[in-house]
Amino acid sequence: MTKSSEDSPSRRTFMTVVIGLISAVIGVAVAIPILGTILSPLFKKRDIVWAELGKIDDLKKIKPLTPKFIPVYFRVKEGWTINTLPRQVVVVKDITGKLYFFSNQCTHLGCPLHWIAARQKFLCPCHGGMFNVLGKVVGGPPPRPLYRWVHKLNNGTVLIQNKFMDNPKDRGV
Amino acid sequence: MFKKIQEWFDERIGLTELINEFNGERIPARGGWAYTFGSLLAFLFIIQVVTGIFLLFYYVPYFPMARNSTYFLKHHVLMGNILLGIHLWGAFTMIFILLVHMSRVYFSGSYKKPREMQWVAGMVLFSIVVILGLTGYMLVGNENSWWTINVLDNVASHVPLIGGFIRILVKGGTETSVLTMQHIFAIHVWLLPIVVIMFIPIHIFLVRKTGEQGMALEYKNSKLPDDDVNKWKHADATVPFFPDQLFKDMIVALGVFAVIYFLAVYFGAAIGPMYRPLALNFAPEADWYFLANEELLKYFPGHGLIIFSTFLVPSLGFAILFALPFIDRGHERSPFKRPAATVLGILFLLLLVYLTLIGGEPKAPATV
Repeated sequence: MTKSSEDSPSRRTFMTVVIGLISAVIGVAVAIPILGTILSPLFKKRDIVWAELGKIDDLKKIKPLTPKFIPVYFRVKEGWTINTLPRQVVVVKDITGKLYFFSNQCTHLGCPLHWIAARQKFLCPCHGGMFNVLGKVVGGPPPRPLYRWVHKLNNGTVLIQNKFMDNPKDRGV
Repeated sequence: MFKKIQEWFDERIGLTELINEFNGERIPARGGWAYTFGSLLAFLFIIQVVTGIFLLFYYVPYFPMARNSTYFLKHHVLMGNILLGIHLWGAFTMIFILLVHMSRVYFSGSYKKPREMQWVAGMVLFSIVVILGLTGYMLVGNENSWWTINVLDNVASHVPLIGGFIRILVKGGTETSVLTMQHIFAIHVWLLPIVVIMFIPIHIFLVRKTGEQGMALEYKNSKLPDDDVNKWKHADATVPFFPDQLFKDMIVALGVFAVIYFLAVYFGAAIGPMYRPLALNFAPEADWYFLANEELLKYFPGHGLIIFSTFLVPSLGFAILFALPFIDRGHERSPFKRPAATVLGILFLLLLVYLTLIGGEPKAPATV
């Protein structure tokens, strides 16, 4: 014959503890796989790929200090699909002939930059960031100069990686 | 016949008693129209849920398809434009009425003891409704959605220490992709509405639990001094919720719904172009309720200060709003007898309106 909780205070404590424990066990058991699915993206490596930009000889012919917007198409694995990510590469030649491969994303919060030829500046339409043609911040809130794509030369062809240089926190992209 | 059905239920579950219990709540008599905003918000939320469920009959949360399925819903589904329009304008109206409801509660001091927890529950609802608005904007899948997702998760990445993780978690990965849309979809359609559905009863239960409390004008006949807690316990006169208060609630609901319906039919929901990550001259725009925050983001230049606009100022603002009943602990309710709170509130609203008005203008391109 089991005692009711009204007969014995210790029985009442025991029941309360068991009710609490059962709730906790079930709650934790459900929460663990939920947390797993939520946190899963943290354990996935970014799919880093190369995409062709163009021949280096053609790129060297562009006018100095005039940005040329060239799209590249990254084929990357995203979740359960393989998708094409179109991105802009802003090719700029400085007066010494050196080539820069910038992203057109504002380094502030990632809006698409406009090139204003009359002002020789990149302007961010969202929060008013301003960059000069070599990517230096000349106004507005951006915290750093323009992102530069990781690139390499392969048999005279410039290849671009879907990754920015000097970008430890992987912002932008 | 009806009588018999009622008796059948009464015998078993005491239905009439239950209904009377729900409907008989005493409401302070004088401020009737000012107390309609709460039920108006509940009404608007129901409209959002109902229209939202039926939008799902056509919507596909997949980035290349989301915008086209929304377009199809608007242009090729019979009266789909009205359904979509009600969902959009209903959301705008809901956020606006939330601000009105909050202002009313603030200026009449209704968050004061013993109603602190109502205010906190209400702030939870407010925060969630704003996120519901932003995620809804992202789900359209047009060009603005694409950039809003990118800008907002970059904002999130500035949270100290865990910012980078938050950014990856809400995106569902490192790219703005299929999984991003699926995550936002699940958050907008399941997670947040369920939290709202849980918190609305909590909010209302707390309001009923503390009984007939109202604005200062309900207590004119009371002889007690203003700083006496007991003064605010019993209003001079009360009316039952049904039908007196509900009558006013329904009239307001009808008026507001008529406006929403008109906006839905005549203006509808603009869908805009498909997203083009390669676009060279596209200027992303935020919805009106986000413009004040958008304007804030234009200030605080440079690496060290960016955290002010992306994290510190907004979270401090929300923290102060959440903690309001614990900061302002006086018993005085009338807005005329607590000038500091009233003036601060008016200044804050003016600042909000000012930031919203100038927030739509891109700052630098205007100088070109």
